[in-house]
Amino acid sequence: MGKLLLSLGLGVVGAGIVHIAILLLLPSLAERGPWQRLAATAGHYRFVAVNGENAPSSPTIRPVDPFFDEAACRFDLRDGVVHIHAPGHVPFWSMSVYDRRGENIYSLTDRTATDGDLDLVIATPAQLIEVKKDIPNDFEKSIFVETDTRKGIALVRSLIPDGSWAPGIDRYMKGLVCQSG
Amino acid sequence: MLRNLLLTLLTFCIAIGGGAASVWYALDADNGFDALRIGAWTAFPALGTPDASPYAKAAAARDGVLALGHAEGIRFVASEDSSRAPLSRGCTYRVEGNTPPARFWTLFPANPRSFFPLDPKDGLPGKLQSWAVLRQADGSFVVTVGPHPAPGNWLATNGLGAMELALTLYDTPAATSSEIGSIELPRITRTGCDG
Repeated sequence: MGKLLLSLGLGVVGAGIVHIAILLLLPSLAERGPWQRLAATAGHYRFVAVNGENAPSSPTIRPVDPFFDEAACRFDLRDGVVHIHAPGHVPFWSMSVYDRRGENIYSLTDRTATDGDLDLVIATPAQLIEVKKDIPNDFEKSIFVETDTRKGIALVRSLIPDGSWAPGIDRYMKGLVCQSG
Repeated sequence: MLRNLLLTLLTFCIAIGGGAASVWYALDADNGFDALRIGAWTAFPALGTPDASPYAKAAAARDGVLALGHAEGIRFVASEDSSRAPLSRGCTYRVEGNTPPARFWTLFPANPRSFFPLDPKDGLPGKLQSWAVLRQADGSFVVTVGPHPAPGNWLATNGLGAMELALTLYDTPAATSSEIGSIELPRITRTGCDG
């Protein structure tokens, strides 16, 4: 009887340890986290529609709002800085940068950007020093985002106020560029 | 000997099975840790940031969620009306009041826990955004949410069972302000039920 109680007690203590271990390991080991889901659909430096008409019927990333088109692009700063830009204007866009585990490290809206243009350069502190020594023409109007993370996800969200805007927003989202260097 | 082996096996079964099951359960249960409650509405301002609780982080990783950044906006979810009764798709609700200053907001009834909008029949309004909302003379608004058409702002529901209302404020100082606890959000009142 004593042995049975002991093994039950040990089992409960073990369950607690397993609980904490799974909880803390899940974000880095999840095979279906945002990064892994995107990796299954496209390579680095390509915007993939995750919400909206062009998105697959079973979305890779959980859509945030039915009024929005969303597209995501994975990048790796070891290949060099990432330049994200889009021609044209839309009623509202916002953008977030996530690290590999899906944590938000930077966000902005069109109000923060120069003339409402989406034009952003993501770089590590060291790369940023190099870039700022001699800013290339392409980066003249860019917003610089400094991050310590190497691999990350850039996600652009754009509002579709009503159906008549859909084709225009669609063109805008297709024109998104995510390029390295 | 055999008894010891069985007892060891039992210990491991409880540890691994119990540990895994309790994590799964905890991730599905409402995470009260980071919750901010205002009336009937709940927000998780820390969601998707390094400050989120381990439970919120694990749930986001499991479900493939990329949460709105603070500069983008903040989402409030209601699963109960203002008298604490669970929201039901078969009932009609009045969502009445005003929102904190924001560039715009969106409101839609959603399936519980997933934020996938309910899928009302073709052509029925299943979502609303503030640029298209009809307002009272004082700037406040009334939205009727329910299965039967209503004058003014109407959001259609269908089917049976539970639902949630998702109110998302975009480009709002409320998302970053430290006074977020004192903002005012619309009241949700049940006006009637089918059957």
